[in-house]
Amino acid sequence: MKKKEFLDELRSKLVGLPQADIDERISFYEEMINDRMDEGKSEEEAVNDIGTVDEVIKQIAKETPLVSLVRHKMKPKRRLRGWEVVLIVLGFPLWFPLLITGFVLIFVGFILMWTGAIVSYAVETSLIAACFMGLLSFFLGYFDGGGITANLPYLGISMMCFGGAIMFGFACYGITKGMAKATRGMFIGIKSWFIRKGDRK
Amino acid sequence: MDAQLKRGVLDVCVLAAIKNEDSYGYKIIKDLKPILELSESTLYTILKRLEDSHMLITRTAEYEGRLRKYYRITSTGRQRIEDFKNEWKEIMEIYSFIERGEQV
Repeated sequence: MKKKEFLDELRSKLVGLPQADIDERISFYEEMINDRMDEGKSEEEAVNDIGTVDEVIKQIAKETPLVSLVRHKMKPKRRLRGWEVVLIVLGFPLWFPLLITGFVLIFVGFILMWTGAIVSYAVETSLIAACFMGLLSFFLGYFDGGGITANLPYLGISMMCFGGAIMFGFACYGITKGMAKATRGMFIGIKSWFIRKGDRK
Repeated sequence: MDAQLKRGVLDVCVLAAIKNEDSYGYKIIKDLKPILELSESTLYTILKRLEDSHMLITRTAEYEGRLRKYYRITSTGRQRIEDFKNEWKEIMEIYSFIERGEQV
């Protein structure tokens, strides 16, 4: 990819940031590419060193706090006209519930994502509980005069649950780790969306 | 490494790279390369943060027919390096205390 192509694409996708910030970033990357070319690299090589535009955007999303992205997005580009203010105030009963619904939907999404993890913990807890109960039943039955043979199935069940709990424990660990990663990914996704919103015109 | 800790360390690394003479983006990346791999976007964020907190100032100068941005450390920036070194002396003492504790 040529330098101009790269910078143009970057500019077209960086619309979610303040204009001064975009200009500054573009000239920063341009200087970086130029300095590499001065060192003897070809234009393509120099651009390659920087990475793809999408990688750059993802990196910027990671490093810009969500709050400042939203704040910039929400800030009106110009002073609101009188009738617009009136509309916003009158429309409050309409847009406020919609806004709340949006937040609730995102929140529910998170809950749903984590439900899998919660369920797996519930199963793990039941397995451990069953293991102890089986053991308890075995000893209670034995001391009650039931003999070993009659109560052996309880011991068996207890051992099975013990094994299950160990194996399922690994599954729980994996699911939790996966969920944490997915949650982080979602945040970066939301932020990238703010930065490159104009991309979908 | 803990994100907060890493951020502090990276800031001081970049300050150290411009401590002796004014430098520019690509040179900072090259100078730091032997000790850490820094991406352009990360460097940009660090430089911006250091400028906002008055640890460095920038100037634009012409170089071979184009403009290049140079970064110069301020007295606040130099102070930050000294503070960092002192903080690490304390941390190293704690570290050796922990090490001794484990040998017993």
